Amino acid sequence: MSLFGTTTGFGAGTTGVFGNATTDSHNPMKDVEVTSPPDDSISCLAFSPHTMPGNFLIGGSWANDVRCWEVQDNGQTVPKAQQMHTGPVLDVCWSDDGSKVFTASCDKTAKMWDLNSNQAIQIAQHDGPIRTIHWITAPNYSCAMTGSWDKTLKFWDTRSPNPMMSLQMPERCYCADVVYPMAVVATAERGLIVYQLENQPSEFRRIDSPLKHQHRCVAIFKDKQNKPTGFALGSIEGRVAIHYISPPNPAKDNFTFKCHRSNGTNTATPQDIYAVNAISFHPVHGTLATVGSDGRFSFWDKDARTKLKTSEQLDQPITACCFNNNGNIFAYASSYDWSKGHEYYNPQKKNYIFLRNAAEELKPRNKKW
Amino acid sequence: MTVCSFYLQGRCRYGDKCWNEHPRGGRGGDYGANHQQPSRGGFGNRVWVNPSQRSGGGYIQPSTFSRDGSDWSKGDVKSSDFSFSHQNRFSALNPQNNNDKGGQTPADDNHNHVDTIQKDMEVWQSSGQWPFSCYSLLSVQISGFVELSPEELRLEYYTGRASGDLQPYVNSVQQLSNQWSSRVQELQTMNGSTQISVISELNNSSPQTSSHGLGSSSGSTSASGFGSTSASGFGSAGFGSSSQSSNTFSFASSKAGFGASDTQQALGFSSTSAAQPPSGFSTAPPSAATFSFAAPAAENTPNTGAFASAAGFSFKSSSSSSSAIRFGSSAAAAAGSAVSGSGDVGDRLFTAHSDLTAEELEQFRAKHFTLGHIPLKPPPADLLMV
Repeated sequence: MSLFGTTTGFGAGTTGVFGNATTDSHNPMKDVEVTSPPDDSISCLAFSPHTMPGNFLIGGSWANDVRCWEVQDNGQTVPKAQQMHTGPVLDVCWSDDGSKVFTASCDKTAKMWDLNSNQAIQIAQHDGPIRTIHWITAPNYSCAMTGSWDKTLKFWDTRSPNPMMSLQMPERCYCADVVYPMAVVATAERGLIVYQLENQPSEFRRIDSPLKHQHRCVAIFKDKQNKPTGFALGSIEGRVAIHYISPPNPAKDNFTFKCHRSNGTNTATPQDIYAVNAISFHPVHGTLATVGSDGRFSFWDKDARTKLKTSEQLDQPITACCFNNNGNIFAYASSYDWSKGHEYYNPQKKNYIFLRNAAEELKPRNKKW
Repeated sequence: MTVCSFYLQGRCRYGDKCWNEHPRGGRGGDYGANHQQPSRGGFGNRVWVNPSQRSGGGYIQPSTFSRDGSDWSKGDVKSSDFSFSHQNRFSALNPQNNNDKGGQTPADDNHNHVDTIQKDMEVWQSSGQWPFSCYSLLSVQISGFVELSPEELRLEYYTGRASGDLQPYVNSVQQLSNQWSSRVQELQTMNGSTQISVISELNNSSPQTSSHGLGSSSGSTSASGFGSTSASGFGSAGFGSSSQSSNTFSFASSKAGFGASDTQQALGFSSTSAAQPPSGFSTAPPSAATFSFAAPAAENTPNTGAFASAAGFSFKSSSSSSSAIRFGSSAAAAAGSAVSGSGDVGDRLFTAHSDLTAEELEQFRAKHFTLGHIPLKPPPADLLMV
């Protein structure tokens, strides 16, 4: 019988009351819960692309597994399949046709999971845990890009055991995003590198980080013509920087904003500052969602520079989020992100993935000027 | 927000109700313009207090950054104040601009930086944010901080748990934690010696004393500070613009002065600090050199690769032939001075004839490089003639 909110050696801090089945603080937003969530923290979420009918959600976790659910139109979620790694899974992504899922793990390998046959084969090998994986579809090539803590970025044609290309980075890869023809990688020690993927991946520019602290997550956004034009970068210090690659007026167009902090306007007591764990852009509206260690998610409009909504506080940090291909569903995962160390880790505590209707709340505001 | 031009002339009839910005300074709000310096508000104040001391916009940052050229084109004193207050992120690089700001000197700049650091440390201690993170001010990393992501720490815990022994994990976390708190405390109380070392780190933009041996990364962040401001002017009209030469050219310049962002700087930079960048950049740029040629790894040291690329493009770019030739000669001169300046890398700056293949030698001898056959090794010294 599993115990929730134990008070033994883990000293789990503010985990809330878990005995009752009423909607307590584990789901204050009353969103749809995904059935059979993973047994350990969820590190990444990804929805299937538009090339595939229906909505399939993939979630990787620290329990070494990757799970696939079908999300039906009535909101029901049906667990479909699962694959295992020998180490915690840190990132997942879909191929562009929606038939394969790529998973990256701390066991230094990445696998390609064919959903039709439910077989997974290894397609990549690094000298250190693989932190990010993205699928690139270019006119003249397709490959998986893996970023690892061994300070390399490798590109894999899934048919060969050797990488097509290997790029050296100044430091360990902490997060990355790809929107063809642009890729952004944020590394340790505030490294920030933009790659251009046309013809062949190559380093385009190293950017001086607009943030003072460790990079945590990055997401590329597109302009009105659907071309990638910049990225949002989140740090552990409750701040997100919006950075355009080639803005007409950098001093004016690039900006940072604070988020995921407690006591918004009260400056008397010291603020609690939480890390921004993930950033996702709405595929249609171009507005963004951030999720943080404080257990809240927020929606923002970067063009109007306003906040659209902040959620209630969940009792656990939110570790991952993503939108589905048409922007109607926002999925976010509530699980421990290690932001307070091992003392606050409670393996018994249930992890959740919630689904929220995102069609209305992420509509952009009209600009005031 | 747009600045109110009437306010700048002293005749805004809306006053506080005006929708446009009245630059008073002190607006370090959440959605303010991108700023690395928290003392931005302070600068704004000083600028506003002494408008009459301005002698015109001569020293002001290029007007390309002002958002509405027509309002500021008259160059009247107040508008130049305004554009200055929005260029604060660069003002630390031009301390001489602050000469008549009521006593603002580089020493005061440092004082502001020290204050900022102290405040940041206080916030860091009280906010409960992740301790194992780097910290930087004005794109210079302050040493003494270990950078570890929560995932890395968690993985350590999991492997310890799997092997049955968590004690090493607990001990190392404790140690890192103590290290962090002592460093934060040190920076917060900022006694004399800490202050001196911090200020020297800030002013010396390529620090050699990074405690976790990451001088390369901090060097490259300061380097790309140049690159990002100047390179944005280069061929970035469309992202991933197709002209290969413009991309890699801007990239070569963004490596802080190997190619240099403009020719004038090339000579000065390489002669004075050629000794430093090679050591500082030894880890970062090999990757860069690799990419710019989109070919298997260039085996030589980065600065030589950059010189080769710079020289290569000066030959190739026929569109701006006059500037190219200028660049080529300055690169050669810079190469020459770099060689004399830093003897230890001199022998890696050029390859001997014997080390080059016949095809590479032919390329160097030819009038123009052939696309796709540009040698990766630097040219022999005697072939460096324009």
